[in-house]
Amino acid sequence: MNFLSLITLIFAPIAAAILMLVPKFPNHQVKVRRFAKAFASVHFIYALLFLVFFDTGLYGMSYEKELTFFNISWLKSMGISAKFALDGISVLMVVLTSFIVLITFVLSKMHVRRKHKLYYSMVLLFESAILGILCSKDMFMFFVFWELSLIPLYFLISQWGNSEARSAAMKFTLASFCANVFLFFAMLILYYYNFAVSNVLTANIESLSMDENIYPVWFQVTVFVNFLIGFVLRVPFVFFHSWFPDVQSKASAPVNILISGTLLCTGVYGLIRFNMQIFPEIFKMFAPVLMCWGVFNIIYAGALSILQTEIKKIASYAQISMMGFVMIGLACLNQVGFNGAVFMTLALAVVFAALFAVISAVQFRTKTTYLTALGGLGQVMPKCMYFSLIICFGAIGVPFLITFAPKLMILSGAILSNLEEQLLVKIVAIIGLLSIIFASGYIMYLFYKIFCSVLLEQWKRLKDLSIQEMSVMSALCLVIIYFGVYPMSVIQVYQSVSNLLLDILQV
Amino acid sequence: MNNVWNDILNAYLPESILIIFIIFNLAASLFFNTYLYKLSKWFTLLGISLALGATFFLPIDPDNMEIFAFSGEIVSNIYTVFYKILILMCSFCLTLLSGYFIREKRDRAFEYFSVFLCAVLFSMCMISSGDLACLFLSVEGFGLCCYLLLNFSKSPDAKQLSFGYFVQGAVAALLFLFGVSYLYGLCGQIGFAQVSEYLLQNNSFVLLSFSFVLMLCPFFFKLGLVPFSSWISDTFEGAGYPIAAFMSSIPVFACFGVISRLLLLFINYIPVLKLVFVCIGMFTIICSSLCAIRQTGVKRMLAYSMSVQSGIMLLGLGVFSVFSLSGVLFYLMCYMFANIGVWAAIILFYISTKRGDIEDYNGLIFHRPYYVIAFTTVLIALAGLAPTSGFVSKLYLFSAVARAGFLFLPFLIISMLGCVIMIFAYWKLIRAMFRRVETDAVINTQIVSSKFILYACALATVLICIFADKIIQLCQSVAYYL
Repeated sequence: MNFLSLITLIFAPIAAAILMLVPKFPNHQVKVRRFAKAFASVHFIYALLFLVFFDTGLYGMSYEKELTFFNISWLKSMGISAKFALDGISVLMVVLTSFIVLITFVLSKMHVRRKHKLYYSMVLLFESAILGILCSKDMFMFFVFWELSLIPLYFLISQWGNSEARSAAMKFTLASFCANVFLFFAMLILYYYNFAVSNVLTANIESLSMDENIYPVWFQVTVFVNFLIGFVLRVPFVFFHSWFPDVQSKASAPVNILISGTLLCTGVYGLIRFNMQIFPEIFKMFAPVLMCWGVFNIIYAGALSILQTEIKKIASYAQISMMGFVMIGLACLNQVGFNGAVFMTLALAVVFAALFAVISAVQFRTKTTYLTALGGLGQVMPKCMYFSLIICFGAIGVPFLITFAPKLMILSGAILSNLEEQLLVKIVAIIGLLSIIFASGYIMYLFYKIFCSVLLEQWKRLKDLSIQEMSVMSALCLVIIYFGVYPMSVIQVYQSVSNLLLDILQV
Repeated sequence: MNNVWNDILNAYLPESILIIFIIFNLAASLFFNTYLYKLSKWFTLLGISLALGATFFLPIDPDNMEIFAFSGEIVSNIYTVFYKILILMCSFCLTLLSGYFIREKRDRAFEYFSVFLCAVLFSMCMISSGDLACLFLSVEGFGLCCYLLLNFSKSPDAKQLSFGYFVQGAVAALLFLFGVSYLYGLCGQIGFAQVSEYLLQNNSFVLLSFSFVLMLCPFFFKLGLVPFSSWISDTFEGAGYPIAAFMSSIPVFACFGVISRLLLLFINYIPVLKLVFVCIGMFTIICSSLCAIRQTGVKRMLAYSMSVQSGIMLLGLGVFSVFSLSGVLFYLMCYMFANIGVWAAIILFYISTKRGDIEDYNGLIFHRPYYVIAFTTVLIALAGLAPTSGFVSKLYLFSAVARAGFLFLPFLIISMLGCVIMIFAYWKLIRAMFRRVETDAVINTQIVSSKFILYACALATVLICIFADKIIQLCQSVAYYL
């Protein structure tokens, strides 16, 4: 186990990106792409080793490592150090990130036609930033990577998107920076309040969460709300969601997969790490509000999703809507609900990455994403239709597909929940059940409109999936089916973390 | 005589070396102007490096805090030495950057450098002045040198703009003198040490605060802080590039050195000052960043950038603790590298293309990737984003403010939002360079000195971020001495 180093895992993509940007590196697109794909495969295998050797019984963090330069740790005098570690939740997200980047590279061949070196290096930089977010043990290191992830994303959206992508990218970056101010502010006052009370200057997330009783309630509420604003924008939940459909409909297809599959996980991760772990009392206090928010999220974004005419927007509103389940699961404050929420985050990432892969295949062939121009593609692209049928069923939550188990867990968690507002909880659970019908509405509408209705004249000569797309879709469908049939394989990895969290929450 | 030698060796060595070189430069300007104009640059570089070396030989006595020279007129301690090193390093880089400028004005090269060295000398005297008379003389001298430097520019507006600067600067200096007269009337003393002794025994809040606010005027004017920020964009626009670079760096060091020393005298007697400083800092950040985001010229944008950065430092200085002082020192250091790097990049672009709007940078990434990456690094350092020194320095300064108490938190969050606006002003420039359009701009690769400074500064910003711990410890130990 000692041969696995988190530093290598996090910083290898940056090194590869820098290597790729060197002018001596061959400029030919095939060579660049092959190098990127080979690197991503090796990185994925390396990340998988972390999961294989992960000790699921361990109570806390493992693979701990500190980044030092000539044995000088970073900002030691301020209590800030570049320490990295993994726990059960983050190890799964790390593997997921690595996997999504790999499939993004496989699909990029068709969609990226210019500036190959810049594209692949930016994706790798982004991957590094996401891995850094997931592995950081230190609050400010977390923030560094949190900001670092925005810069490559800006270029990825604006440079390779359609003609309106630039303004969408700007909107996203502006909104994110404003939310980051709240995040940074919350971190600063938490850091100094902790110092003023306990006289230890530290930014370590674990040691901040250890003695939460020392903070007064008003202070906790302030910091909690600031953290909430910062993370909710990235998840995204309703009221903070408007960047997401905008960006998704204007960015190019591989970037869609990247955002849906990796970026949104980090928001949920932040909610768990900061809001739940550091302020359990306040989280309990806010739980009914969050639960109502989750339900509102499901209904509001679902309704918006049905109204859209562009397939990328339908898919992105669908994802926002389903993220409401995550919020409900976290707010249940019991083990079933929490396990369901984490599983749901991972499942949604996989499913929606797959859905955007389908959309990318359709967009590549028809050059349009408007529902009115599509229809009946199932006749000319049968393979694509069958794959997308599995994926759409996966998104709805059909039994033995990936989102079924987490949905079930979240809803049963909501019914079993011990919150004081019993009536509210029951109503929430019932509305949640109804929303499954809702979800099948928009997803199946999407599927029907693309693949089933009348085939238009101009689409009669479309080709079916290429070998790359076949491999990506079969891999994703395999994941969807495997974890649908055997959900415990995921849950057991982070079982100990959820035990720990629920100890903190004292329920 | 022996006494004078001792004083010079103990406290005034770098300044004396600069004076010798100023005299040589002036003498040389009489004889070989147009020939040998290149010599002036190397000659000045030699002078500055000798002075820089001499700074390291100044005796620093940790027990016996301050060393007085010339009967208390000049003070030397580790704090002033730190500032002197910053100023000399900065002026070293600026001299290298002035290369193209003197080529255009070969007949006045020696003259230019003698005025330049005078400005450096006055800024150093300003920091280490031990009484109010010396302080006033050096402030006035520094303002005059700036005015002369602004006049060197070729642009037709330059004369008018520099005259505007001169008049406003003169008014600010007179206000300073007015404040000093009140203080003198109050205490009957002009030495800082005597004034502080007097204040320990007697306290008259109203007169004291009145005089101190007046005394701050010229420094706030030079930093471009909010009530005095009307001149900066026009003056920068009219000035030549190396002079604009000078105006955005040396006055910042000099003024912060003086303000922190003055603040030490008064802060205990006028507690409301903290709030005033923090308020001015906040308003400067907001107003100047809102102005900066609307600019189309790079120089004008950077003028407001200087104002915003001084606002941030003033915000930190306002809370006045050891942490905030060391935060300001660290911030100044990071600001120096980032700022000089940005100006080096702009000068490099200007020499090659003779243009300086943000639009002109469009699509540069495809021609000069290294240049663009280095330029982006220093811009990101100014903006204060993650992998550069700017982030660490902002983190340290803001955390010092957060530490000072809950009173300052609302100001802090508003200032941070202002910083986000400023990030977008820098971002406009970065975005232009990555824009996918054809460009005919060609960067001349022959200009070694600017290129060297750009790459060195880009490297330094990253290195400072990595080894921030040691440097912060150094700054803390320096700040303890004040």
